[in-house]
Amino acid sequence: MSTAARIDDLSFAHQGADLRALERVSLVIPTGENIALLGPSGAGKTTLLALLDGRLQGWRGRVSVLGAPLDPDHPPPRAIRPETGFVFQEFALVERSTVLRNVLNGRLGRMSPLRALLGSPTKHDLEIARTALADCGIADLADRRVDSLSGGQRQRVAIARCLAQEPRLILADEPVSNLDPTRAGEILSLLTGAARARGATALFSSHQPDLARRFAQRIIGIRGGRIVFDVPTSELSEDATAELYRDAEPMPGLGLRAVS
Amino acid sequence: MRLRGFGGFATSALIAGAILWSFATTEVELSRLMSAGPRIADFLGRMFPPDPSVMAEIRKGSAETLRIAILGSLGAVILSVPLGILASETMVSPAVFRPIRTLLAFIRAIPLILVAMLMVGAVGLGPLPGIIAIAFHATGMLAKFYAEAIDGVSRAPIAALESAGAGPLVRLRHAIWPQMAPVVARDTIFRFELNLRESLILGIVGAGGIGFYIQTYVRSFQYDKAASVTIAVVVMVIAIEAINVALRRRFA
Ligand SMILES: Nc1ncnc2c1ncn2[C@@H]1O[C@H](COP(=O)(O)OP(=O)(O)OP(=O)(O)O)[C@@H](O)[C@H]1O
Ligand SMILES: [Mg+2]
Repeated sequence: MSTAARIDDLSFAHQGADLRALERVSLVIPTGENIALLGPSGAGKTTLLALLDGRLQGWRGRVSVLGAPLDPDHPPPRAIRPETGFVFQEFALVERSTVLRNVLNGRLGRMSPLRALLGSPTKHDLEIARTALADCGIADLADRRVDSLSGGQRQRVAIARCLAQEPRLILADEPVSNLDPTRAGEILSLLTGAARARGATALFSSHQPDLARRFAQRIIGIRGGRIVFDVPTSELSEDATAELYRDAEPMPGLGLRAVS
Repeated sequence: MRLRGFGGFATSALIAGAILWSFATTEVELSRLMSAGPRIADFLGRMFPPDPSVMAEIRKGSAETLRIAILGSLGAVILSVPLGILASETMVSPAVFRPIRTLLAFIRAIPLILVAMLMVGAVGLGPLPGIIAIAFHATGMLAKFYAEAIDGVSRAPIAALESAGAGPLVRLRHAIWPQMAPVVARDTIFRFELNLRESLILGIVGAGGIGFYIQTYVRSFQYDKAASVTIAVVVMVIAIEAINVALRRRFA
């Protein structure tokens, strides 16, 4: 069984933070699996996903993504970055550009450098962007500027951009946090369905255990930077999720001292 | 800001000292100050009525001033794009942006009129030294503005494009530029307005434009003609400001 990502004894502290955001994390993500990451606010979900995306440096341990080891001190080479797609918790869209432009931005790493710079997509790029828009149910918003959209519409643009990138590993940070329950279900089924259809792997974080149960084959619980459980969905007990979120208000004392 | 205690006292003493020193060491003769009133009145009297026969000169001079301002601004924009990028912490490392920022501060510290005089010395009389002087002088401010516009954009979309595999210039084009465009438009228009105002007087040092006629007429005691040109300059400044207000609204 090939793996989409393998993490071995990973620890990480954000610059200037005195608590570690991740503490001795180890996990294996098999190719083609849909996995949910659950955990209270501040647990380290965004940190773990960003690290797998190659956007954080200065960690300890061993991490390999899509068969290539990550360098703890340098971002991955640009050529392989399109292979991992990211759906940002805060969307990270270009507000003054149109929806279509933003979705095409997901193709920039796949275009020739000159086309990317000029922003002139090929027919193929446009087709993929339009398909992603249609899949996310926002084809009619293509020419709207992002700053005129609602939170839920923005979220779908962010997902469409990620799909247009055609990644082999989809890292989605609370991709449905701004959607009503029906839409949330639709989008997650879209995201996991799209991943399955192209043999891609999806790792998504969420605060909604019921959605995680519906759309993931495996659920990882994380709290205070540590993995609390990592089980097939069918084996996850109600007690385990309740325990994960117990007293999960601000918990300054829960982290560990930083790597010295 | 309120000054307190000894610091406040020392500052006040320093300011008072500077004023006294200026009076004591400059030959400001009070008698001359007293008689200045009637003399200024006489001078103003000789400006009236303004001589309207200089319309041709005004037209020629203003057209040249406008050309100096437009070409000078164009030069400043062309210089400021690369220098602005090299002065921004978003695009380059401190080893690059620190010296570039120092260079820009140095350029800003040189008064335009001085640059213009040096350029007249270097390339001779006419609009060319004026254009070069404006381009050079304005770059000190405009490149700094552009750098601040780059550094002022939201970082999240830049990270998103980087994650998608876009290089630095592609990120500048598709994540930074759409965010900074209105700021760049506003700053460029603002700097153009300053350039136009400042180029009105460049002619005084021989660097072309309408200022040349003011200087000529004052030197030859044709105050009524100088008055007409001055009125033309004031009208132009007001017009520039009105246009600028309209443009600013457009780009808001
Ligand atoms: N840029 C940063 N600098 C310093 N500390 C950070 C930074 N980003 C996150 N942290 C800290 O790292 C820890 C993990 O944060 P992270 O964003 O990964 O949590 P999360 O599980 O995604 O939370 P949420 O559900 O609220 O999004 C928190 O204690 C947070 O305060
Ligand atoms: Mg988060």
